[in-house]
Amino acid sequence: MGRAIDVVKRSGKRKSEAFDIDKLSRSIHLACMSVRTPEGEAESATSHVAGIVTLWVEKKPAVTSDDIRRQVAGHLHRYHPEAAYYYLHQRSIL
Amino acid sequence: MTSVDTYISLSVVILAAFIHASFQLSISVLTLMSGHALGRKTARHRLINLIGGYLFGATVMTTLLLTFVAYLFGSLITGPIPGLWWAIGCGAAVGVGVSVWLFYYRGQLGTVLWIPRGFAQHLDSRSKATKSATESFSLGLSSILSEMLFIFAPIFLAALILIPLSPDMQLFGILLYATVSLLPLYIIGLLIGSGHKISHIQRWRERNKRFLQFAAGSGLFLLGLYVYNEKIIVASMLGGL
Repeated sequence: MGRAIDVVKRSGKRKSEAFDIDKLSRSIHLACMSVRTPEGEAESATSHVAGIVTLWVEKKPAVTSDDIRRQVAGHLHRYHPEAAYYYLHQRSIL
Repeated sequence: MTSVDTYISLSVVILAAFIHASFQLSISVLTLMSGHALGRKTARHRLINLIGGYLFGATVMTTLLLTFVAYLFGSLITGPIPGLWWAIGCGAAVGVGVSVWLFYYRGQLGTVLWIPRGFAQHLDSRSKATKSATESFSLGLSSILSEMLFIFAPIFLAALILIPLSPDMQLFGILLYATVSLLPLYIIGLLIGSGHKISHIQRWRERNKRFLQFAAGSGLFLLGLYVYNEKIIVASMLGGL
């Protein structure tokens, strides 16, 4: 990545952190696996969506974690609607 | 106590257990724990162990809670149960019922519950960190404890109803309460263990959350009114107070 992009955390309570593509990929992969997606399909969806979202993030000076979440869910929905649903809603289960 | 009275008492215990069953906290924790376990690519037999440990923990805590409250009441109350105790139980049921109607879910999105955020964060982090059946057992115990805000009213009334019964019927009543109140948890555990997607389960819960909220609130309200009528109004008319 060319420059560091700040990710403003949810509700602004925690400190901002630099955008981390590995962390993003892990979270997408985890959502795919949580809805029992086959490993290969999960990896393919993860690399596609992480790539698209990284391009989107690189155009911004700073983004919120909620913005990233919505972007990921929107793009993931095309590859795997169930994983997209779980990705978007896993923080609103409890 | 006649056998008809015993059947009526056990029916009220079943109603209290159904109301307990409509509360969602322990189901949310089970959903989260299973989601994290699947995300970590946990093998199927280990996932089933985790779910089994969680269900066992929830069963043990529910049984212990009702047994403890019934024992406590049995020790404090000698002779017929005073009307004040029934009034406290009915007041709690109606009060919690109305609160459930108004406040059970936080916001429109998801199934976030109106419980102290500290509890929710603790359960969330524990459900992520749970990797063994022992940990999931303790998570099952603590998720039932965290639900106390809602379940104390049905447990209070079920315990009061159970103490005049014979010891064997008390034991039967406690087991009946535990089984019925945890039925949805067992069903969700079975669905996840048999390969259903967490997202389908969560979608169903989200679609039906207002109905479950209404059912839980109305059930508590009706339970409170029924017991108040039966144990205070009818008893006072018959001169039993």
